[in-house]
Amino acid sequence: MRTTSPITAEATPDPPVIRLEGITKEYRMGAVTVRALQGVDLTIGRNELVAIMGPSGSGKSTLMNILGCLDIPTAGKYELDGRDVARLSQSELARVRSRGIGFVFQTFELLPRQTALRNVELPLTYGGGPNRRARAVESLRRVGLENRMDHRPNQMSGGQRQRVAIARALVQRPALLLADEPTGNLDTATGDEILELFGELHRQGQTIVIVTHEPDVAARCRRVVRIRDGRVESDLSSRDTETSR
Amino acid sequence: MIVSNVQNALEQLWSHKLRSLLTVLGIVIAVASTITVVGVIQGFTAYVAQFLQGLGTNAMWVWPERPGGEAGKRLGRIELDQRDFEAIATGCEAVRRVSPLIRRPTAAIRYQGEELNVPLEGVSAEYHPIRNFPVEVGRPFSVADIENAHHVCILGREVMNKLGASEEIVGRTVLIDRQRFQVIGLLLEKGSFLGNSQDNLVLIPYTMALKLYPASIRKIALTAQATSEEAVPEARAQITNLLRRRHQLTASQPNDFQVRTQDEILETFNSMSLVATVVLSGIVGISLLVGGIGIMNVMLVSVTERTREIGLRKAVGARRRDIMLQFLTEAVSLSLVGGGLGIALGYGLCALASLHPQMVDVVVPTWAVILGFGISATTGVVFGLVPAAKAALLNPIDALRHE
Repeated sequence: MRTTSPITAEATPDPPVIRLEGITKEYRMGAVTVRALQGVDLTIGRNELVAIMGPSGSGKSTLMNILGCLDIPTAGKYELDGRDVARLSQSELARVRSRGIGFVFQTFELLPRQTALRNVELPLTYGGGPNRRARAVESLRRVGLENRMDHRPNQMSGGQRQRVAIARALVQRPALLLADEPTGNLDTATGDEILELFGELHRQGQTIVIVTHEPDVAARCRRVVRIRDGRVESDLSSRDTETSR
Repeated sequence: MIVSNVQNALEQLWSHKLRSLLTVLGIVIAVASTITVVGVIQGFTAYVAQFLQGLGTNAMWVWPERPGGEAGKRLGRIELDQRDFEAIATGCEAVRRVSPLIRRPTAAIRYQGEELNVPLEGVSAEYHPIRNFPVEVGRPFSVADIENAHHVCILGREVMNKLGASEEIVGRTVLIDRQRFQVIGLLLEKGSFLGNSQDNLVLIPYTMALKLYPASIRKIALTAQATSEEAVPEARAQITNLLRRRHQLTASQPNDFQVRTQDEILETFNSMSLVATVVLSGIVGISLLVGGIGIMNVMLVSVTERTREIGLRKAVGARRRDIMLQFLTEAVSLSLVGGGLGIALGYGLCALASLHPQMVDVVVPTWAVILGFGISATTGVVFGLVPAAKAALLNPIDALRHE
């Protein structure tokens, strides 16, 4: 499974949204130690749209989990939005996930019995503060689904579901939007619409990282980071080509 | 947070109606039996208290009885006679009133062609204040009635009704065991206890009863009233000492009579309700265990089914304690629904029990309802802990990948 993580920054260019220094991750599988990441250095600035690519087993998913604060590295330094998050406790990590990161998954992961609005409100129930409904409505408006607020996931198309998921990811106004193969379950046309939406969000200033194995998706991103064998294989920016179309 | 947890929990329960219902059956049974048994015991307790009040004020009973065992067999004749009665009447300071009580389980009474068998008691005029059982129409026995063993009687209301007579029977003549008696009064209606009417009774002077039933002369029982509630033990001791002296019992010999007070009757009843309470606790304990395990099981299934949801919630910022709380809320909601159904069922059973004509008024006290909710909530927490902890400790990465 591959993951793409977009990162958005607000106005000022510094500090970077993501700074990884010498990130390693080791798993113990019985007597064998698997080194999934072997010293990854990566800096992603505000308002970048970055694709992370790599074959399976490359460490791409591990990198995404660490970027998303779902996992902590064995060694190395990770600053998210200027804050060191490499050594945080479980509940501090949960807080970072709540405020700093918005996830978009290949399979949407919407709660099936709840309306679009309730799905978008979900992150706000975990320390979200006031005006939840208004903020959720606003977020749905950003993805163009203000007319589908009371629909349940099974009453919506795949593209609409992914839009709801994106609205949910945006509702806390996170520094980083992290998308894991966001078009993997969609047909080409619908996938294009979603990528279009990412481009639009990027133009509005959102930092986005998309983990993907589809070259088409990567081609829409200014910057493509390739991972192989737990290291950054290449990090190419096409500065002056268009971001998304 | 709590509101949305409860809302979520109820939605979950509602979306698995049948499963939820089956799961909470154990709790429903536990709570329903608590409510029903507590209600019935409370009803009986109130009823017995009322009955004891009706038996008389600070009343006690004395009757001859051969004690059990070897010592009892070695005693001679077991007697309680009129001289014992007179000795108690004059010699016991703590005893305010005393009346002989010569009971016949059945006596044939006949009036205008109707004949029936009713319980009969030979008593003195003191009987009415001791038993709180006054004469409503007519008059009580006079001293002359007792001393001269007049052929007079006082009827309970039910006897009057069964004879097909009205209050006009006062002053008329009835046949009791083929002897003519003049009805001089009617007792105030007392109602029934455990289905036995207390108004199905004929009273005659005890002196008359001794003539009618000579066999009773050496076997009379007594009913007495202590001067006050505090004086009941003293009255009992005085009667015991007096009778032992009169019957020339040595220190090693047991009493050849019995003295019973109202408190002892109450104790007998209390030990009965204790047994009922112990049985209840057993039923409640077992059904709570079964119900609790059911809840744990269904919650574990729910956690497994919703692994991806848990992963997602963690990804969007839920801490372990948030997930823990969510599933605990669900378990407690489930068990509280069971508690609610149990309380409703308990009330239903109480209402059903009350329909029986001889049943006491069943009263479900508020504390039993609170107890019902309390035990169901506690069960939910206790048996919800393991599944909730399992959910809370899930690794979000694995949970999101769970198929």
